[in-house]
Amino acid sequence: MNTNIGIFEANYYLPPTKKTLSQIFEDEEKPTEAFAANVDFEKDIGIEALHVAKNETAADLCINAAKLTMAKSGIDPKEIDLIIDFTSIPEDYVAPTWSAAGQVQKEIGATRAFATAINTGGCASYQTTLKIACSLMSANDRYNTALLIAGDKTPEFNHNYFPITVVSDGGSAVILKKNMTKRRILGVEVATLGKLHDMWFIPGIHNRDPKDIGGKFPRWLHVCGDIQRFNKELIPVNLFMFRKVMLSVLKQVGKKMQDVSFFIYPTFSAWDLKAFCEAFKVPPEKISTENLHHGHLQETDMVVGYVDAIEAGRIKDGDLVMLATNGAGFSWGASLIQY
Amino acid sequence: MANSGILFPIACPENPDQAAAKLCTRKVLHVDNASLQYPCAPINLMKEPVGILATACHLPAHKCTVKELFQEEGINLSSDVAARLGIEQVPIRNGQASETASNMAVAAGREALQRAKVDPMQVDVVVEYSIMPQEYLVPVWNMSNKVQAEVGATKSFVVGFSGGGSSNFMVALSATAAMLSENDSMKTALLVTGDATIPGNRVLNPADPVTVMGDGASAVVLQRGAPGSVVIDTELWSDGNNHDICYIPGGSLIHPDDINLYRMQLDKVRYDAFPKGETLRRMTDKLLERAGIKFSDVACVLCSNISSQDEAAMQQAFEGKVSPVCASNRESHGHLQGTDFPLNYLSLIESGSVKQGDYVLGVSHGMGATAAVSLLRC
Repeated sequence: MNTNIGIFEANYYLPPTKKTLSQIFEDEEKPTEAFAANVDFEKDIGIEALHVAKNETAADLCINAAKLTMAKSGIDPKEIDLIIDFTSIPEDYVAPTWSAAGQVQKEIGATRAFATAINTGGCASYQTTLKIACSLMSANDRYNTALLIAGDKTPEFNHNYFPITVVSDGGSAVILKKNMTKRRILGVEVATLGKLHDMWFIPGIHNRDPKDIGGKFPRWLHVCGDIQRFNKELIPVNLFMFRKVMLSVLKQVGKKMQDVSFFIYPTFSAWDLKAFCEAFKVPPEKISTENLHHGHLQETDMVVGYVDAIEAGRIKDGDLVMLATNGAGFSWGASLIQY
Repeated sequence: MANSGILFPIACPENPDQAAAKLCTRKVLHVDNASLQYPCAPINLMKEPVGILATACHLPAHKCTVKELFQEEGINLSSDVAARLGIEQVPIRNGQASETASNMAVAAGREALQRAKVDPMQVDVVVEYSIMPQEYLVPVWNMSNKVQAEVGATKSFVVGFSGGGSSNFMVALSATAAMLSENDSMKTALLVTGDATIPGNRVLNPADPVTVMGDGASAVVLQRGAPGSVVIDTELWSDGNNHDICYIPGGSLIHPDDINLYRMQLDKVRYDAFPKGETLRRMTDKLLERAGIKFSDVACVLCSNISSQDEAAMQQAFEGKVSPVCASNRESHGHLQGTDFPLNYLSLIESGSVKQGDYVLGVSHGMGATAAVSLLRC
């Protein structure tokens, strides 16, 4: 793969309204299942408040992030060749029939671009999309600039993703360009365990339970997790899969774990972050933590972690940065960037 | 197409593999700018082309006539509408678990792998290109993960594409060919879809019907260095101004509660105004120029099975080169969403009407609004 493709610019947009965690737990349904990890989900999560979009649609969050990123980059929207939506939760209209990619194309005036969407990977859709975008750009001379976008608006009263995290609303965008000498994407690795496909899903209106009609909220749009299987089938393999994708991407580019200067990791929870750091012997100074106060932002976590770490001066020129995450499917992804 | 390591002249008119060779020139430019100076310089760093190893479709055995479906959905089937559609019957799921969208996709995937004689363990990526809503809400859930598990492609990872309508297959084809070509660790891909139409929503735009949708699934095995049809190139186009030309509003974030809106809706005025034939022909000319071949070199064109009216527009845009298999499949199966191209491609190969080395174009327009053209060499 052409290794001169790099991250030209990245940014994110978070709606200004915030809701405290205690308010979230008060408003939303409390799960009754036990969580295998030895933690108190509500007390130990490490997230204090969430961003909640009011009148903004999920596409608005996408568009706002795209516009902020375009403005920061100084790139003319007409230069963009590809737009790829990597949103990982349901959007304004039903997928896969519709995606926000076309609406973003329209709103930012990227008239030359081809717009499409990647709809797999959950929070790891960032890595899946990087892999596709880099492959398309590497294989085609005509694709020089790509805009990756995401916008997540959680259905009302579904911010509690027990036992994983609590989720914020927000959007992000990343501009990839060829012929970069800095911030180059050295490699991307994705792995999926399809046997876990039905452990985490949203039923949809076609599967709604008649007793939910007219209720406080559209329960059929809420995430359903099989906690028993989560405990038995996911937790035991999670770190193994992280190790697999990280070692694989390091091998692709001839590097070792100790060569990694900084890790970007999702903001699922404080205990999840601790488990990752302990498993891979990552000291606190080498991993993103600034973003924890935003709450978990699905696939956008990767962008928020990257942007916040740069702004905090934690990533320096030449640093080898590992972005690693997991997501629905279940999927694991790791990408390496030479900053 | 030859394997890696064989020397090919670039852009030599007498070279039967000119299009593929020209395509590969780009790879050389990154490595050796000297080759730019010699139009017929040998390429010795050319990557293996990506080709179609096998294709399979899985269609429900049960069929309904268009007349029956119009009656069921309370729509008048006039002779004018019947003639414009050119669809006699469509395959319909029988309601059993074996015919969910994902189970049909699993069946098609297994069949394609068997035909390709590929061990599922050798599949590097499963790529999904469906159009209709799946068993659970996409993108949190996607059938590709289930397909991965059920066909036993345990080494692979999965990717799915949204928003391209009938162009989704070619988006998937283009992205997969790029992945296999550009990643040394990847060689084999399984492309798969299963589309189940929303019950009571088989006639698109009842006020002025545009197509009749059936249920079905398909799968294609792509491999770097495959001896079958070579994927030369794909041209993709989208017009974001028409992002909402066709969509399903009900059950989404904007209309979470309204089951009556859980159906595919089309803005017919904007759909008709979208210059489908002209756009696809312009894209084709651009693609062919890039590949270094003329339209007269193209043996035939495969289009989507939307309606006889749509096919007539394609025939006009493509100088009568649309293959008769499209009309035949349209009449007997209707519009099968993502499966239209694999079905037509299979029929074309089985018909024996194309020979080795023939160029075949696949053209499609879909919601988004998108348009796509793929060039294959058989």
